[in-house]
Order: sequence, then C-alpha cells, then structure tokens
Amino acid sequence: MGMPAGAIFLVFMTLQIVCIAGALLFPNEFRYLSPQNLTILMKAIPVLGCLALGAGVLMIAGEFDLSIGSVYTFTAVLMASLVGAGLSAFVAAPLGILAGVMIGLLNGHITLRFGLPSFIVTLGGLLFWRGAVLLYNGAVQVRFDPEPIFTSLFSGTLLGINAAFIWIVLFVVGFHFLVHRHRFGNHVFATGGNRAAAEAIGINTNRVKLIAFAIAGGMAAVAGILATTRVGSVQPGQGAGLELQAIAACVIGGLSLRGGRGAIIGIFLGVLLIHTITDVLLLLRAPGFYLDMFIATLIVLAAIFNHLIERRGLA
Amino acid sequence: MSNTNLLELHNISKSFGALTALRNLSFHIGEGEVVGLLGDNGAGKSTTVNLISGIHKPTDGYLSIDGKKTTFTCRSDSADAGIETIYQHTALVDSLSITRNIFMGRELTDRFGFLRQREMRDIAMDVLQNAVHISGIDSPDTLVGNLSGGQKQAVAIARAVYFKKRVLLLDEPTSALSVRETEALLNQVLKLKAENVSSVLVTHNIYHAYQVCDRFVIMSHGTKVFDVDKADTTINQLTEYVVLT
Repeated sequence: MGMPAGAIFLVFMTLQIVCIAGALLFPNEFRYLSPQNLTILMKAIPVLGCLALGAGVLMIAGEFDLSIGSVYTFTAVLMASLVGAGLSAFVAAPLGILAGVMIGLLNGHITLRFGLPSFIVTLGGLLFWRGAVLLYNGAVQVRFDPEPIFTSLFSGTLLGINAAFIWIVLFVVGFHFLVHRHRFGNHVFATGGNRAAAEAIGINTNRVKLIAFAIAGGMAAVAGILATTRVGSVQPGQGAGLELQAIAACVIGGLSLRGGRGAIIGIFLGVLLIHTITDVLLLLRAPGFYLDMFIATLIVLAAIFNHLIERRGLA
Repeated sequence: MSNTNLLELHNISKSFGALTALRNLSFHIGEGEVVGLLGDNGAGKSTTVNLISGIHKPTDGYLSIDGKKTTFTCRSDSADAGIETIYQHTALVDSLSITRNIFMGRELTDRFGFLRQREMRDIAMDVLQNAVHISGIDSPDTLVGNLSGGQKQAVAIARAVYFKKRVLLLDEPTSALSVRETEALLNQVLKLKAENVSSVLVTHNIYHAYQVCDRFVIMSHGTKVFDVDKADTTINQLTEYVVLT
C-alpha cells in the first residue's frame, strides 16, 4: 500500500478501534456494534462507493466528473420507469448502465474535442441531467417494483451480509485489478501523470480518458441501481451533492487533484471513513451541520497531506 | 564499423509557412557510429530531431533507413524503425515506478491484458544493473519522480536498450546534468556504441560532443556547413565553424 493510502488506513483503523472500544464500554449509549447499526452502514456504503470508484478512475486519468450525482438520479429514474412500463428489471438495469456510459462518453467527447476543462463541461452536465429528470418525470417519486429475484440479488442478504455490500467489495477488487494490475490502468496513470510523455510513448490518451469518462458514468448508474433497489423508489432530488461526496472520498483516500496518483483501496477507505464518521455523529445525535463541518475539515486535511507527499515525491 | 548507412537524410527541406527551417540538408549516420549534431541556437537542430523522430514531415527530400526510402508519419513509426528520441525533459511519468516507465506502452501482459509484473520487474532490475549503470538506484520500484535529471535520462536510455533500439537521438542530453552525471551519460553512449548502437548527440556543448563523437555535423541557418571525422579536426576548428558560419 502506497503512502497516502497507508496513512488513511491508519486513520481508519484508529477510528474503528476507538468506536469499538466505545461501543464495548457504553453498549447502551453508543450502539456502534448493534446489528441494526452495522446493517445501516453496510447499506449506505455501496452507493457512495460505486460513485467514488468511477470518479476516482477518472481523477487518476486527470479529469473530473461533477455530473455523476445527476446521472445517478437520471439513470435510476429511467430504469424505474421502464420497469413501471412493464420491462423486466434485468433488461432495464443494463439499459440504465448503458445510458450512464453514453452520458459519460458525451461528457468526455465534449471535453476532449474542444479542449475544455472537464470541470466546466460536467458542471453543465450536472445541471442538464438534473433538469432532464424533471422534464422526463416531473418532481414526483417513481416506484421501483422489480422481480423479487432482482431485489434479492441487489438488496438481499447472504450469510448475514447485505448483497449491495458484497457487490461493492467485488467492484473494489475488480477495479483494483483493472487499475493496478492491467495494462489499461497503467495507461490511466500515465495519462494523468504526464500526458505529453504518455503520448510520446504512443499511448492514445484521448481514448484512455474517454473510457474513464464512460466508467464514471456507468458506475453512477450502478450506484443508482443499488440505491433504488434498496429503497424501492427514486426521488428526483436524491443525487444532489453526491458528486462532491464522491470526489471528497477520493481526496481523503489519497488521490491527487492533478491526476496520476492514487489507489483503489484508498478510494474505498475514503468512502468507509466518510460513512463511519457520519454514522458516529448520528449515533451521538449530533446535529447535521456537524457532519458537514467534520467532512469538510477531513477533506482539507487530506488535501494538505497529499500535497506534502506529492511535493516530497517530486523534489 | 560497417559501410552501411543506418540512417540517411537526402536533400531535406522543411518550411513552416513562410519560414524555412531546413534547406537541402543531407547527412548520414552509420551503424555503431556516434555523431555530434552541432550548431548555435536557431540552426535547425531541433527541427532535424523532430523530423528524424517522425513529428515533422519533410517539405522536400526524404529519409532512408538501411538504404530504403522511408516516410515517418508519427513518432511510433520512427520507434518501429529502431530510433529512440530522448528529450531534455525526458518522456517519463514521475508518479510511476522505474519498471512501469521502462515498459510504458509496451507492457508485458497475459492474453487478457493483465500485467506480468514480476517478469517486468526482473527485466528492469537486470537492465538497470547490467546495461545501464545508474548510481544511487537500488530498486526498480523507485518512483521516477524521486530521481535526479541524470538518473531519469538513464532510465530513458535503459528503455531504449531493452527494446533494442539502433539509434539514440539525444536532444541536449547534458544541459540539465551535473558534471558527474554528464560523465556517466557520455560513458553510456560509448558503451552502447560497443554494442553497435548508434547515437546522435544534439548539443551546443562542443566539449561534450568532442569527448565521445566519431564525426561531427555542423549546422547553420538550416543547412549543413561542415561534416568531418574527429581525426581530421580539432576542437578549435569546430568552435570556429559553429560561431562563424
């Protein structure tokens, strides 16, 4: 494990030890280890996890996607209404993922074709797809009634473990191999780390970035499937702010904002850390704004820490 | 040294709009030969490098490899022909390890595209220890961002050596190096020459070129003004040609 991911792992483990010790000492006041609480944690982590994995790969390639929160809602609404119109969820869900991939490709194409900052292009995407949800569906919630087997596949339990949590663990393992053990991942790091060098050696950096955009869009749709199956409906406003949380998880996990650095395990630890802190504050009955302030402080500290490591690495 | 000319430039001209960067430039590079391409700033050295490495196409004239006329349309064409260009700011990725940089774009993988990491690491280790001696590097897992300028260039050369390049095109290789690193680099060029790898040293440091080159091509105003074997010239004569033409 590299330096930033290693440090975040230490922070995460320390927090876990403190939480478990607290739960053992005050089992009635601090119910961290209660089955209900652990279930809530396992259900909450996969959605942000999927978004952050996609956003993270794109960040390593040197680009941002601010539209993933809106794409997450849009593709979920699309899938739920297709199922409402009589389509099987096993057809509608892949169509939702396909829509996410296409939107990612569109973001990437506009960014690369016109040489724009992806920050601006996907800020446009954020507003556009948020509006598209309302245009397509109106401001009402959409029920999602898939076949029972679909529900148990994505939100049932296996050996007491939530299915969505098993999915995210599989995704983390899959992404780890793709990014750290596969030729494509090597090209992602090269593209984000030094684009000119990557091109000089013959890597098609536009193609690499375009695939990364597609992954970000596709994973946003996967997050939508997991969230929608769990809840049984889609709220048109539910994705707002998730894109920033996903990027926050990446930064906390040690990804460089300039691209070319980071680890998949770091992204996942960033997600776990955000949700653990959220959970602890909820258990302590702290008002919601503490949560924002806590996460905010964590992001800035993580960014400072990453920057110091980067500077030392480049010295 | 054999008589085959590995690389030849035939009456090459290159214009950018109204600006003529190269005029009727011809020279050759033999197998296992170290050639110094000298000239003051603006003489057309960089354009020549870009032309040989396939970034620019000649407006007129042509290149030949082993006596066969060739056209390079992009950089990978020249790489396929065995030419490796090593730039001042070498094309390496700082955030990746030496191993990953050596194999960048030419990774060893299984048929599913997964990296054969141990194999690449072993080769990188071997190349670093035996082909290129880089002082101060103990592991191919070191991030390139932690290396000095000379060490980075050595990694780029290691890459060329492993992929069995025939010509190294070194663009101002010594300009950012310490005295000791410069010595190491020049020795490296001689070592490669012993293995029949040619080098083109593009520089305006005549002293560095004089140390290792067999022959000198001096450019001025986009064309060749002097082409001489080391045995037939002196450092003073070379300096005069660079300064006065």
